[in-house]
Amino acid sequence: MRVTFQSTFRNGLFDVNQAAERYADKSQQVSSGKRMQSAADDPSAFSGGIRERTEMATLDTFISSGDNATSRLSVADSVLTDFIKEIEAAQSAGAAGRSTVLTQAQRDATSLQIKGLRDAMMQSLNTQYQGIYLFSGGQSNTQPYAAGPPISAYQGDANVQSVDVARGRAVQVTWDGSTIAQGSAATDVFTTLTNLANAVQTGNMTGIDAALLDVNKAHDRATAVQSTVGADIAGLAVDRDRLDSLRRAADTRRSHFEDANMAESISGAAQGQQAYQAALAALGKAGQLSLLDYLK
Amino acid sequence: MGSGLFSQLGMAARSMEAQSFGLDATGQNISNANTAGYTRRVVDFASIPPADPRISAGGGVEVTGVRAVRDRLLDRRFYQEQPLQSRAGAIYDSLSVAQTALGNPGASIDAKLSAFFDAWSGLADNPTSSSQRSQVIAQGQQLAASFRDMAGRLVTSQQEADSNVRATVDQINTLANQIASLNQKITATGVDGSLTLRDSQGEALKQLSTLVDIQTITNADGTVQVSFAQGHALVVGENAYTVGITNAATTGFAQVTSGGSDVTKFVSGGKLAGYLNVRDTLLPSYKTQLDTLAYGVATQINTLHTAGFDGNGAAGQNFFNPLATVAGAASQITVNGVVAASPSLVVAASTTGTPGDNTQARAFANLRDSKVLAGGTQTFGDAWSLLTYSVGQDASSAKADQDSRGEVVRQIENLRDSVSGVSMDEETANMMKFQRAYEANAKYFSVVNATLDTLLQLPT
Repeated sequence: MRVTFQSTFRNGLFDVNQAAERYADKSQQVSSGKRMQSAADDPSAFSGGIRERTEMATLDTFISSGDNATSRLSVADSVLTDFIKEIEAAQSAGAAGRSTVLTQAQRDATSLQIKGLRDAMMQSLNTQYQGIYLFSGGQSNTQPYAAGPPISAYQGDANVQSVDVARGRAVQVTWDGSTIAQGSAATDVFTTLTNLANAVQTGNMTGIDAALLDVNKAHDRATAVQSTVGADIAGLAVDRDRLDSLRRAADTRRSHFEDANMAESISGAAQGQQAYQAALAALGKAGQLSLLDYLK
Repeated sequence: MGSGLFSQLGMAARSMEAQSFGLDATGQNISNANTAGYTRRVVDFASIPPADPRISAGGGVEVTGVRAVRDRLLDRRFYQEQPLQSRAGAIYDSLSVAQTALGNPGASIDAKLSAFFDAWSGLADNPTSSSQRSQVIAQGQQLAASFRDMAGRLVTSQQEADSNVRATVDQINTLANQIASLNQKITATGVDGSLTLRDSQGEALKQLSTLVDIQTITNADGTVQVSFAQGHALVVGENAYTVGITNAATTGFAQVTSGGSDVTKFVSGGKLAGYLNVRDTLLPSYKTQLDTLAYGVATQINTLHTAGFDGNGAAGQNFFNPLATVAGAASQITVNGVVAASPSLVVAASTTGTPGDNTQARAFANLRDSKVLAGGTQTFGDAWSLLTYSVGQDASSAKADQDSRGEVVRQIENLRDSVSGVSMDEETANMMKFQRAYEANAKYFSVVNATLDTLLQLPT
C-alpha cells in the first residue's frame, strides 16, 4: 500500500489530536476535581449525581425539621417539668391543709399558695415557642387559657399538629392543653385547684380530699404526656444519627458519580502528556524523512 | 544507412521529449502534493513500432496520454460514509449547546425543585409564619422562572438548528451550481483534457457529501449526475436543481424542497440531516419532557392548594396560573399573581379556622417523594433526572457514532490516498528516473550525431 504525504500527516495529526484530547480531559479532571464536564461524558453518572443531590436535599430538610422539633419538644418537656413540680407543690400544700391544728391565718396563706401555683400552671400551659402556643392544639395563635379570675375554659382545640422528621415518621409538636389540664375529668385542674384552695381556707376536709384526688389525676395526665414527649426526643436523637448516616452515604454515592479519582486523574494526565509528546515527536519525525535527503 | 541515422536522431529527440514530459508530470504532482482533491498524474508511454523491422528495431517512445489515478469504487464508498459521520457530528455539536443549557447537577431545575419543596417543609414547621409563606412564593417564582429559562434555551437551540439548516441548504446550492458549471466545462474540454476540472469536481462532491447524503453517477464523458434525499435530482448535466426552503405553517421552521416537493423527511445523511434531526426530533422530545414536568408540578401543586385553606381561613386558590395543556407548559408556568401579592393566601391548612394546621403544607413537602408522573412511576426529581440522561445519552451516542464512522472515513481516505495521493518518495524516484532517461537519450543523441558527422566526413 502506498503511503503518501497526505495520509502520513492526516494520520499523524489525527493521533496528535486524540492524544491532546485525552490529555486535556485528564487535565480538566485534575483542575476541576470533577469526573464529568457534561452529561455526555457519562449520562448514567450525571443523572445519578442529580438523584443523590436531590436525596441529600431531602435528608437535609428532614434533619432541619428534626432539629426544630427537638428544640420545640425540649421546651415542651421543660414546661411539663415545671407543670408537674407545681402540681406536686399544690399536692403538698393541700395535704398540709388537712391538718386540724392550722390557724385561720395559716389556712389563708396555704390557700393563697395553692392559688399562686394554679396561676403558675396556667402560665406554663400558655408557653409560646417562636410565637406559637404549644398547648393550644391547632389554634396556635390563641392562648390556651385566659387569666381570671376565674381562669377561662380551654380556648384551643384538639387538632394537634405534627411535622415530618423522616420518611414515614412524624412527631407531634403541639398539644391539646385540655388533655393535660382536664382530660376526662368533670373540671379542669385550675378549677380543681381553686376548689382545693377554698377547701383549705375553710377547713373543708371532704373538699380537700376530693380536690386532691383530682389533682393526682392531673399529675398522672401531665406525667403521661411528658413521657410521650421524652420518648419523642429520644427517638429524634436516633433519627438524627440515622439521617446523618444516610446523608453521608448519599454524599459518598454522589462523589462516586461526580468526583474524579485524583490519583487516577493525575496519573492519567501524566500519561496523557507523555502520549501527546510522543505523538508530536512521531509526527515531527515522519515529516523529516524524505528520499530527497539522500540524493547527491 | 544515413536515413537510418537521421531517424535515430528523431527517435532520440522524441525520447527526450517523452522523458521531459515525465518530468513535467512529476513536477505537477510535487507541486500539488497538498492541493485538496488533486489526483496524481501518470504519464502513459508506448513504444513506437518499426516501419520496417528488417532495418529498424523501433521508433522509440511516445506519450500516449496523461491520466489521473483514481478509484471510483473508493469514491462511492466515501460518499456513502462521509454523510453518516457528518450527520453524527452535527447532532453532537448541536446537543453540546443543549447540554450546556441543562446546567450542572445541583445548579439547575433539580436545585430549584428541592428549594421549592424545602420552603413548603419550612411552612409545615411553622404554619403561622408569614415569612415562610413569602419564602414559598419566592421559591415558586424561581422554579417557574427556571422552567421558562430552560424552555427558552431549548427553543433557542431549535432556532439555531433551523438557521444551520438554512445555511446548509445555501451551501448545497452553491456546490450544486459549481458541479453543474464543472460539468459544462468538462463537456467542452473533453475527457482527456479535463483532469484538473475533474479533480475540482471530486473535491466539490466531497464537500457536498459532508452536507447531505448524495448518490452519484459518473458518465463516460467525465460529467457527473448527482441526486440527494433518496433520488431527488440535484445536478443533471449542466443543470443544477435548486434545493428550496419553505417555512412550515405552524413552526416557521425551514422545510427542504426539491422540485416543489417537500423532501425533508427523505434527507438521511450529512450535516443537513443532523440539524433536521436535532430540530425536529431530539429537541422537541426534550421540550415535551420538560413541559410534562412543568405541567405536573403546576397541576399537582394547584390540586393540593385549592383543596386547602390559606392563612385567612379561606379556601385556597391556584398557586400557579392554570396551564391548559402540557404543550408549552414550561414556557408558560407562572405563580398566580394574586397569591404572589399576598402571602397570606398561601395554603398550609387542610381545615379552616385552624391557624396552626400544617397538614396541607406537609402534603406539599411530601410531594417531593411522590410518584405522580408517568402513570405513577416517577417523582419530579426522577423526571428531571431522566431528561438530563436523555440529552446526555443522545449526545454521547452521537459522539460515539461520529468517532466510529470517522475511523471508517479516515481508512477510506487513506485507501484513496494510497491510489490517488502524491508520494514524495515515489515522485523523487520518478524524478531521478526521468532525469537519467533524459540524460541517456541526450547521450544517445550525441552519439548518433557524432556518427552522422563521421559519415558526412567520409571522402566522396
